[in-house]
Amino acid sequence: MNNQNISEKSGSSRRSLLTWFSGAALAGSAAISALANFVFMKPRATYGQPSRYSIGRPDDFPSGTRVSLDQRRVCVVREGSKLAVISTICTHLGCTVGVSDTGFACPCHGSRYDQDGNVVGGPAPKSLTWYQVSLAPNGDLEVDTNNAVSQGTYYNL
Amino acid sequence: MKLALAIASAIILIIHGIVFYDQFFHQWERHQTAYFDQARTQARNDAERAELAGRSPKIEQIIVTQFGENRVDRCSTCHLAIDDPRFKDHFEPLKTHPYSAALGDVQRNGHWERRHKFNDFGCTVCHDGQGRGLEAAYAHGEDEHWNDPLTGYITQAAWRKDFQPHLKGKEYMEANCAQCHTEENFAGTPHVNRGRQLFFQTNCYGCHKIDGLSEGTLAPELTEAGHKFKIDYLWESIVEPRANLATSFMPKFNLNDEDVKSLVIFLKSRRGVNYAETSLARYRAKLSPAKAEITPEAALGLAAKTPSARAADLASQGKQLFEDRACAACHKLGDKDGGIAPDLSFEGSLKDEEWLREHFRTPRSRVPDSIMPAFRFSDADFAALTAYLESGHPPQNLPSDGAEIFKTLCSRCHGEKGDGLGKTAFYLDPAPRDLTKVAFMNSKPEERFLRSIKDGVPGTSMPAWGKVLSEAQTQTVLRYVKTAFVKEPQRALKEHTNVPAANPNPSSRDSIAQGERLFLQRCAGCHGLKADGKGPNSIDIVPRPRNLRNRWFVNNLSDHRALASILYGVQGTAMPSWIDYGFTMKDAGDLLNYIRSLNPAPRPADKQLASLTSGTH
Repeated sequence: MNNQNISEKSGSSRRSLLTWFSGAALAGSAAISALANFVFMKPRATYGQPSRYSIGRPDDFPSGTRVSLDQRRVCVVREGSKLAVISTICTHLGCTVGVSDTGFACPCHGSRYDQDGNVVGGPAPKSLTWYQVSLAPNGDLEVDTNNAVSQGTYYNL
Repeated sequence: MKLALAIASAIILIIHGIVFYDQFFHQWERHQTAYFDQARTQARNDAERAELAGRSPKIEQIIVTQFGENRVDRCSTCHLAIDDPRFKDHFEPLKTHPYSAALGDVQRNGHWERRHKFNDFGCTVCHDGQGRGLEAAYAHGEDEHWNDPLTGYITQAAWRKDFQPHLKGKEYMEANCAQCHTEENFAGTPHVNRGRQLFFQTNCYGCHKIDGLSEGTLAPELTEAGHKFKIDYLWESIVEPRANLATSFMPKFNLNDEDVKSLVIFLKSRRGVNYAETSLARYRAKLSPAKAEITPEAALGLAAKTPSARAADLASQGKQLFEDRACAACHKLGDKDGGIAPDLSFEGSLKDEEWLREHFRTPRSRVPDSIMPAFRFSDADFAALTAYLESGHPPQNLPSDGAEIFKTLCSRCHGEKGDGLGKTAFYLDPAPRDLTKVAFMNSKPEERFLRSIKDGVPGTSMPAWGKVLSEAQTQTVLRYVKTAFVKEPQRALKEHTNVPAANPNPSSRDSIAQGERLFLQRCAGCHGLKADGKGPNSIDIVPRPRNLRNRWFVNNLSDHRALASILYGVQGTAMPSWIDYGFTMKDAGDLLNYIRSLNPAPRPADKQLASLTSGTH
């Protein structure tokens, strides 16, 4: 009788340990699956143009250059040893803005920007973005469209 | 029960853990972290260090739109340092892609500048492999189901072990260079150029078709060979033609490894469409009637030879041609034996010049079922080859012993045991006669065999041995065949005396129509609807039913023999005795008229045409 009691007691504690362990393991699995679901929500890669790309050598853009790279939808501006890359995507509805001596002009709805990309007219709500520029180890200029810099931040060659 | 539950949940947790780890912790992330760390130590200023610190591992990809279908090349996800010259002595995957002046890279202001920028070209355009892959094994195409593994670097596990060492090397990438650099003698692709040369030199073009290069129809088309086949398969097909298809009659060319490699690279470069031309341009080229004809001479850069060269020169030219163009890959001459096509040792004595020239130009004109391709040699080359075959191979000291004669002249086709299974037998159509078939051998008179040996059998590969053997030698060899192979003594021949020497039924439109009706009813099952001996039943029949459109054979066939064969059958073959099925002499006559009507004698106009086209010298 006594013996049985003891064995029942130890048995019940062993059983409760197993129950606790099973519960913890299943909860852990559920947590991992849920986490995985959340991580999967964000695509790891999309099929756009890469956000980092090289635009060529600094020599390709002599001082005074103000040139639009239509493929990349950016404008490269160089003054002396200072260089900047300004987005040419209109902040209104995403047309490619044209580059002129006085600044930028959007052909779609007539938004106008000054030379630094500040809005001077039209429906555009924000000024044009400036992208971060760096010199890659192979000597190419590299633009990172994921990193915006504040207006007037030039890269010093 | 609870224990089982606990174990099961533990297993589930472990599986979830493994899947999670596998999906979210990648080798490429470790490579990228390593790159950032190393680059930070080499950074020149704080800005660079800050910029590197701001970067975290992510999938790098180049989207290539200019070369065929859009490519997504994620190679730089692991190979992050390809364009970073500081890593040129590093180990893969973090190693700078080498700069090479041969690829057009130039050095300016101490910096190398690439001719083929990764932004524009991606990686797989040159290297192959699976651009989207993020695991080394998949990305490099090690998977057996990926057709183009990293060219010249990766050999798949399923490839043949003995070929694998041959299939590595940068030169295999030339096949990809040639997708844009299609110029015929582009200096950057020596192996492709050599392969193209070999394609003509070793007469591949005679059988294989490649759009724009060759028109052969005997063998599989190779226009898209590079697209369809792996280099392992291409190598195997050249080195061991029968490895994949036991019935292939492609000869073994015995090329050296370097030449095989060149051919493989050349074939790998044939993809049907290449990047240098748009599909529209290709369509236009196909439509335009003025198709650029590339002659083998032009491809090989051979100067046209004057046919007025002296006979000895001609013969030596012919010898050179014979060797250069791999004739011995099929034929036998001297100690070289391809084991596919007839022995040419006595060809000059056996065949006259007209036969040779006509046969060269269109091999099927004389042996209608020959598998020899029509090679586009110039007339001067044919003349040289003819001169070579006719020179210097006199039938010198042929043995007088029957067994020896048989061994030298007959056994290559009829087999050493006379069973019609010599080494070339498989490729000859009609097949060599099985001389051990007693029923046939004993049902024909001796004169017929003697005549076959002496005069040959027109329309087949049996030559007229009478031109090199004396009457006595002919008799000896026939006696040898009879004693060694037939073995049974000659029985009394059935003389079909009621069969007239000439067709008693004059040819007329009605007779031919009646013959055709009968033929379709009774004969087409074996001889085929087209009377070409390829009826549905022919597959199971040995010897094969005659091709009754073989002009040279049929026109040489006497009425008597044809009528006797129809009415009384041919013993030892599947041809039954049709008189047992109610055929009358008139039926046989109608049939013969029909068969003759299929094989008109060459009209004078044809002869004129032939003399116009054959040799102008």
